[in-house]
Amino acid sequence: MIVAEQKPLEEIKRLVADCHKVLVLGCGTCVTVCFAGGEKEVGILASSLRMAARLDGKEIEFLEATVQRQCEHEYNEAIAELVPQVDAVLSIACGIGVQTLNEQFPTKLTLPGLNTKFLGEPTEQGVWEERCQACGNCVLATTGGICPVARCAKSLLNGPCGGSQRGVCEVNAETPCAWQLIYDRMIALGKLDLLLEPTPMKDWRTSRDGGQRKIVREDLRL
Amino acid sequence: MAAERRVKYVKDLLDQIGLGGTRLEMYFLSSAEGARWAEIATEMTRRIRELGPNPLRDG
Repeated sequence: MIVAEQKPLEEIKRLVADCHKVLVLGCGTCVTVCFAGGEKEVGILASSLRMAARLDGKEIEFLEATVQRQCEHEYNEAIAELVPQVDAVLSIACGIGVQTLNEQFPTKLTLPGLNTKFLGEPTEQGVWEERCQACGNCVLATTGGICPVARCAKSLLNGPCGGSQRGVCEVNAETPCAWQLIYDRMIALGKLDLLLEPTPMKDWRTSRDGGQRKIVREDLRL
Repeated sequence: MAAERRVKYVKDLLDQIGLGGTRLEMYFLSSAEGARWAEIATEMTRRIRELGPNPLRDG
């Protein structure tokens, strides 16, 4: 899932400082599950901003709403009537939601209330860890289901490097060495010899370095 | 414990809002500790009087 974190309140206050009426808009999908931008968080943020605005002697009205998913136009239609009523929309969805709203309602600026951090997994309650970097060419079949692109600090495909010490990455003592994990898993699966097979160079053209990516499914187009 | 972490979170939030996290406090005591309860109530009252009324109150 997409994992995001709310921007500091001070930063959000600056973003809406010149507004008189703001719609705080939440999203019911990824950011709800990582407790950053769901309905509850909309309520807390709108309350905090109301209090902060009054303490600063400002008169700003904050409306509250949440849609199922801000990345789809059909779901955003539910709040279309509110957009002309406000000076700005403060979206607490991920960056995709913010941009979709800006495309869908181009006469109003939709501001980001979150920092979108990574694609990851909740490994325990209250903890999220990065797992995927959307490189576009998945090698998980050959690495025991552990991603060397996302979890190795150097994204090595033939690790580990010399910095791997006792199963820990040299970059951060709290980060396990991804290649240690891969080796351990391949041994446990009895598939260690797979790592010995020659593999062609990874095609990195599908990764983000070439700019914005796009998929077209002709069979799904109207 | 979980409640302690949440109280800390709200105190931080109150600081960010500008109301002040010192207006909220968590104490641990049992129902048998009457005297300590009175002390805590007195201390909290003194603290709040020093901070002044909630600036968001109307009027």
